[in-house]
Amino acid sequence: MKKSVLKSIQITVIMAIIVFVAGCNGTQESESGERTERQQRVDLMGAGASFPAPLMTAMADEYRTLTNNRVTINYQSIGSGGGIRQFGEQTIMFGMTEAFLSDEIMKDVEANTKGKAFNMPITLADVVATYNIPGVDKGLVLDSSVLVDIYLGKITNWNNSRIANLNPNKNLPSLPITVVHRSDGSGSTNIWTSYFTRVSDEWKNKVGMGTSVNWPLGVGGNGNEGVAGIVINTPGAIGYNSLAYALINDMSFASIINSSGNIITPSFDATTEAANIDLPEDTRILFTNTPAPNGYPIAGFAWMLIHENLHMNNAISTKNEAIELVEFIIWSITDGQNLSEGLGYARLPEAAIDRSIDMIKQINWKGEMIGRDLLRKNNLL
Amino acid sequence: MNIANVKQKSLKQRKIKDNFMVGLLYLSTLIVITPLIIIISYVIYNGINALNWDFFVHELGSPTRAMQGRPTGLVHTILGTAVVDTLALLIALPVGVGSGILLSEYPDNKLNPALRIINDTLNGMPAILKGLLAFALIVKPMGTFSGLAGGVALAFVMIPIIARATESALMNIPWSIREAGLAIGLPRWRVIMSTVIPAAKTGLVTGFLIAFARAVGEAAPLMFTSFGNNYLPKHWTGMIFGPVDTLPQRLYSLAISPYKEWHAMGWAAGIILLVFVITLFIFARVLTAEKKYES
Repeated sequence: MKKSVLKSIQITVIMAIIVFVAGCNGTQESESGERTERQQRVDLMGAGASFPAPLMTAMADEYRTLTNNRVTINYQSIGSGGGIRQFGEQTIMFGMTEAFLSDEIMKDVEANTKGKAFNMPITLADVVATYNIPGVDKGLVLDSSVLVDIYLGKITNWNNSRIANLNPNKNLPSLPITVVHRSDGSGSTNIWTSYFTRVSDEWKNKVGMGTSVNWPLGVGGNGNEGVAGIVINTPGAIGYNSLAYALINDMSFASIINSSGNIITPSFDATTEAANIDLPEDTRILFTNTPAPNGYPIAGFAWMLIHENLHMNNAISTKNEAIELVEFIIWSITDGQNLSEGLGYARLPEAAIDRSIDMIKQINWKGEMIGRDLLRKNNLL
Repeated sequence: MNIANVKQKSLKQRKIKDNFMVGLLYLSTLIVITPLIIIISYVIYNGINALNWDFFVHELGSPTRAMQGRPTGLVHTILGTAVVDTLALLIALPVGVGSGILLSEYPDNKLNPALRIINDTLNGMPAILKGLLAFALIVKPMGTFSGLAGGVALAFVMIPIIARATESALMNIPWSIREAGLAIGLPRWRVIMSTVIPAAKTGLVTGFLIAFARAVGEAAPLMFTSFGNNYLPKHWTGMIFGPVDTLPQRLYSLAISPYKEWHAMGWAAGIILLVFVITLFIFARVLTAEKKYES
């Protein structure tokens, strides 16, 4: 009896293994037909910020189709902090972050790889003030001082005269304001608090900026979805989410008066416009409260992190992988940008693409300038 | 007359008390079972619609696939789970069984007190730390996330459970069986291999299944070891030496995504995981039941 039971287990296990191996071989065979392409398949790998993840994975899908399944890019969203960390640990081929590398980390990478770490803008992040005011579904207008004072706890009710002055045609109810913020470390928080720090000395001295800060008041929500959940379910709540997230979930968001005095309704064009400024060479810049007259003031870059000396990155083992990686990056900042609007992202401005091309030019494999060569091949140099 | 009356009354009272207590037992059983049934039916209710043929034959890709209604699925996740969990079992079995044998068959060994403490510590350690250990041991030196690293991390989850199960299964075998073996001149290792372990086989297999089922549901140790993948690797060995997707981890990332379609797929992944774990436990249950019947 016992024996028969054990035997049946053995048989099941063996069957399972056979089925599994057969399954694997099956996929291999079906793909070998498609392998009429010039080279063997390549798997590339990156990880980091969650905000650009939908765009990155959609680019990966598209690029895979374009290359007839030859190049597969595996992007996992583990957060900006995780992306920077794993980039430093050299367990991934490229990282992704909403907060650019600090001077300290740049130096560390330079010491470890004898080459620079590049921060290449890949898309733009825009953070919008999402709110839940019964009767005011659209078009609430706020300015920087009102927004900061709400988050400092100085304005506590929606019928406050300062909000009413900005919204003369809106019927604002007497409703206490519930302030919502992110409880986890987040690139959105970094952009949001960077805006507050730039427009208010009081915020700068009391709270400051960062991926997580000591909030003077409010409820914390975990992730974009956490904040959205609280805002949607709490009448009188105000929070912050990425524009794409607010659009997908049909949330109300406020227009903001920018530094030039224009009322800017968040849109992809307004975000792109915000970045159309004089950029430094390494693109490590925060442009919240942008001087661009038609730019949305609460926006920033999301960067791709990549080594100058690709051969020094433990995660990249062959020159072929390095070439395919650079080729993908070139595609993602040019043709790949066409996917942006459809997915809720703003396009990179020309200025940012030019800076990225300058950086790609320097990427090499054991001294061989593969970045420059591939740019030439794509007629970008 | 009086005495009989008292007796009858007390008997009646006892019966009422008895029934009351039994009723309480039923009630508490119901209280325990209800949440489980609610959870299972809620998962099935939410996920059943996303379970279709595509789910089992396509790769996940990007969220746009799901939003535009193009075929998307978790074939790479299901296969990846099988590979990672099998690897974990292969790594954990020799170590876990070995330490279980040491604890039960060599009770006087000097290593045993330390081994017990280590085993209990490993069992109580947060699973994410086991993942961290596997990251330092495998991922860093290899320079890439891999199914192997995930297997090692899950093996750390399985080892203490297997060791404990092995120990108690072997302890259940009467000492006289070992004496019989020793009496005919068998060396100790031969007694263990040829008499004790075969006699304890059902108990052992049950323990393995329970350890396996525990590890199958773990997401935390896999985050920075097997890491995840939206596609099948280019070659099936990529599941062992490259980043690979697993059900519990994918379930988590689908659940926190902003897309309705992915939420539904997350529920469906939950169904697969539940069915898998429940099957394992039922299997373990059947084995133990058989053991009782035989003795």
